[in-house]
Amino acid sequence: MSHDETMSSGSCGCQEYRELSRRGFLGAVGGTAGAISIAAMAAPAWLPRVAMAKDYRSTQRDVMISIFLRGAADGLSMCVPFSEANYYAMRPTIAVPQPDSTATYRCTDLGVSVAGPNGPTGFGLPPGMTALLPAFQAGQLLFVHASGSTDPSRSHFDAQRFMEVGKPRDVSLVTGWLGRHLAATAPATPGSLLRALSISTALPRALVGGPLTLPIPNLDTFGLTGSSSTVAARTVPIQGMYSDTSDPLRSVGLNTLSTIDLLNTINFATYQPAGGAAYPTGSFGTAMKSTAALIKAQVGVEAIAIDLGGWDTHENQGTVPSGTTPGAMHNLMTTLATALAAFNTDMTALTAPTYSLVCMSEFGRRAAQTGTGTDHGHGNVMIVMGNAIHGGRVLTQWPGLNASQLYQGIDLQVTTDYRDIVAEIAVNRLGNDDLPNLFPGYTPTFRGVTL
Amino acid sequence: MTADSPSLSTPSRPLSRRGLISGAGAFAAVWGAARTVLAQPPVEASADVDPGSLLTKLVRRVTYGPTASELALAAQLGYHGYLDYQLNYTAIDDSACEARLSSLATLTMTQQEQYTQTGGATLLSNELTEATILRAIFSQRQLYQRMVEFWTDHFNIAINSEPANMLKSMDDRNVIRVHALGNFGDLLRASAHSPAMLTYLDNYLSTATNVNENYGREILELHTMGADNGYTQADVLDVSRCFSGWGYDSVATSPTRGAFRYSSTRHYNGAKTIFAGTPYQLNIAAGGGQTDGDRVLNALIAHPSTARYISLKMARWLLREDPSPSLVDRVAAVYTSTGGDIKSMIREILKPNNLASAPPKYKRPFHLMVSALRALPSNVTATSGLRGQLTSCGHRPFYWETPDGYPDTAMYWQGLILPRWNFGASLLNANISGCTVDYPAFFSGLTTAGPMLNKIEAELFAGEMPASEKARLNTYLGAGTISSTKTKEVLGVAIAAPSFQWY
Repeated sequence: MSHDETMSSGSCGCQEYRELSRRGFLGAVGGTAGAISIAAMAAPAWLPRVAMAKDYRSTQRDVMISIFLRGAADGLSMCVPFSEANYYAMRPTIAVPQPDSTATYRCTDLGVSVAGPNGPTGFGLPPGMTALLPAFQAGQLLFVHASGSTDPSRSHFDAQRFMEVGKPRDVSLVTGWLGRHLAATAPATPGSLLRALSISTALPRALVGGPLTLPIPNLDTFGLTGSSSTVAARTVPIQGMYSDTSDPLRSVGLNTLSTIDLLNTINFATYQPAGGAAYPTGSFGTAMKSTAALIKAQVGVEAIAIDLGGWDTHENQGTVPSGTTPGAMHNLMTTLATALAAFNTDMTALTAPTYSLVCMSEFGRRAAQTGTGTDHGHGNVMIVMGNAIHGGRVLTQWPGLNASQLYQGIDLQVTTDYRDIVAEIAVNRLGNDDLPNLFPGYTPTFRGVTL
Repeated sequence: MTADSPSLSTPSRPLSRRGLISGAGAFAAVWGAARTVLAQPPVEASADVDPGSLLTKLVRRVTYGPTASELALAAQLGYHGYLDYQLNYTAIDDSACEARLSSLATLTMTQQEQYTQTGGATLLSNELTEATILRAIFSQRQLYQRMVEFWTDHFNIAINSEPANMLKSMDDRNVIRVHALGNFGDLLRASAHSPAMLTYLDNYLSTATNVNENYGREILELHTMGADNGYTQADVLDVSRCFSGWGYDSVATSPTRGAFRYSSTRHYNGAKTIFAGTPYQLNIAAGGGQTDGDRVLNALIAHPSTARYISLKMARWLLREDPSPSLVDRVAAVYTSTGGDIKSMIREILKPNNLASAPPKYKRPFHLMVSALRALPSNVTATSGLRGQLTSCGHRPFYWETPDGYPDTAMYWQGLILPRWNFGASLLNANISGCTVDYPAFFSGLTTAGPMLNKIEAELFAGEMPASEKARLNTYLGAGTISSTKTKEVLGVAIAAPSFQWY
């Protein structure tokens, strides 16, 4: 089925598209000519020029979006435990002031209170994170605090690896938990050409081992360069040579060629987000916007991984703006929060497709500041978002921040293993209950993350 | 190796061997695979090892790609003679390559001049990148350049991080390039005194009361011992305390701006203990001042974990991703017996038996592009276009953000193949700024598929192109006189070939 390319994009919101996928299918299997015509007219120009024969909601699992904040993001700044007196004592110049402070830049109270060893604990968002308030208040965004990996490493590289493979300390495990999930499950869409991708120049460890999985730095420009008139002729020997070689390069080469064709059917540049969603400019915002377009195109992608780096704030952390200077971490949080908020708006304007998003980092940062920043720490905050996430809460077994309550006397404890969160999503939203394969040697405890 | 060049109908000896070992693993379909599956480790004089191909393999490992002249030189000098030639790099006349760098003024500026030149950090970065690319392509000191790349990653400094952006050029000149084939201890000490490193890892901000652990942790984890190899969080803290006060002169008006500076007022001068409870325990009494850091460096250089970790990383770089523990032990023994002599370690790593059984390594994007430019009659007048190509592959020199440096594993690089293919197409279409290939000269006098493919095999593939790849290109070219378009584009397609991705 081809869509009418002349339809103006301004009149083609996603409501129409949702109708399209079903009506287009009905038409194809014997509906009236009129129905086909309506469907074609309703097609946004960016949508794939291929037939989509499925009702996503009835047949698909959630699309999993895995966001990794590389460099150890400071969770105590991202979701601030503003009732903890020692938080302010340990961070005299980088703490985010309490919600009732008169400071220009202060916490916004999330309006939740959890029991803690030092009394009821409130949590607030710093100025850089407030874009997430609507999603939180709509119940689609969840913070999981004092969470992370129980592995004691404060090495970025070890900690990232062990989190992404899904088992601490096991250097023999090279595949990622998400890659193994894909390898062990049939494609959610039979015949899918691309099951998973990272929007980057190399696959993150979490996706290693996944079939039909590629790193794609820019979804909109993924194609062969050189003279366009000879692309087809040049593709033949490339396809042939990669057919002849052995895996993994064989699969990479052939998947790349089929993915070029697949992505060619989607016009990312003219994609119109739904619900007035405004993505930030820059690579992360573009990646989240492309992710939304790709999911809505329903081409069978099941998992997307995106990295956001730069969180290793040993110095000049810049948690909140200082005068007219924005602050390094404030900028990063703003990028993260505005992109996630836009994505949520874009996606929840639809009732389908559904997605689950998990955002985590290798570990948190030292509870006390050093100089103008923080050293490597332990416990952290995770952000979980999605249509079927039990959000609007701060899920935590809050351990407190008094000196005696800190891990090794210096860091926020990990009281919720990140695998508890991810495993529950895998079972309830990704249709995979083989947890010993995803997280070898660990028995997760479900925490009520999904609805 | 041209004597081994097969015709299309007669596979070379490596190919015929490979035919016997189907299913031998991930590397089975590329040349050299035969040597990965020999039932017994080959001995140097074994009839099972083709000395010609082993020599080619040596050239592949110590250079950024074999050229006809380099292969001829290696054939003349023999295995050990050629390795010695490359190791004794200062005796190699490299004036022609250095002449190409004469317009890169910042390469020879003092630190003061680098600060005050009008191009700022951008010019420093661009000129260092250009010099790095040009040296990789044109330097006769190929092993030296390869080791410069290795240590650049080992002691990674992101050139876009302030204030290291003004200092990395000097680190490249005075730390990496001075010691790349020298002594590891000297290299480590130079790095520890390098303002670029001390700023990149925040040590310059560390004080007695606010001890910053960033450098202290990474010198243990990344520069010397390796993660989980015998140190604790308490060691990280005390090592960091020892280095507190190590910084640089940041005063804009100072005549020594940008030089290493020790600040006694910032130094944590209390007692410290490193590696407590181990045979390597080091007690540092209070009041040691700057010597605290020197003593830590000595202890790290002497620690057996450092010997093993540096040996492991060098063996991975030069030989194979998975060197055996016994090989690493042998290299570490050389490290210990020579006091960290890098050349001696390389000799141990590249012993013929080790190389004969080593599987091919996957080229990183930088290596891929340089190897193509070396093999072809390329004219490189500027590198901004190549820089963009490398960025598309995620491998722009000096732009890896975190202190671990660009990865050196096939797994990491193998997913993104499209920009590698596109590099070849763009190069031959003269779409890479500052970079052209004289393909008419390359194919001079050759107008049909057979001779053209033999030329491609000899020059781009060192005489070892899989027959299946030649057959695919033969079909692509077709019969009769080859069109000018295909004469140009076949080279781009050849660069995209699977076997060209390995070395």
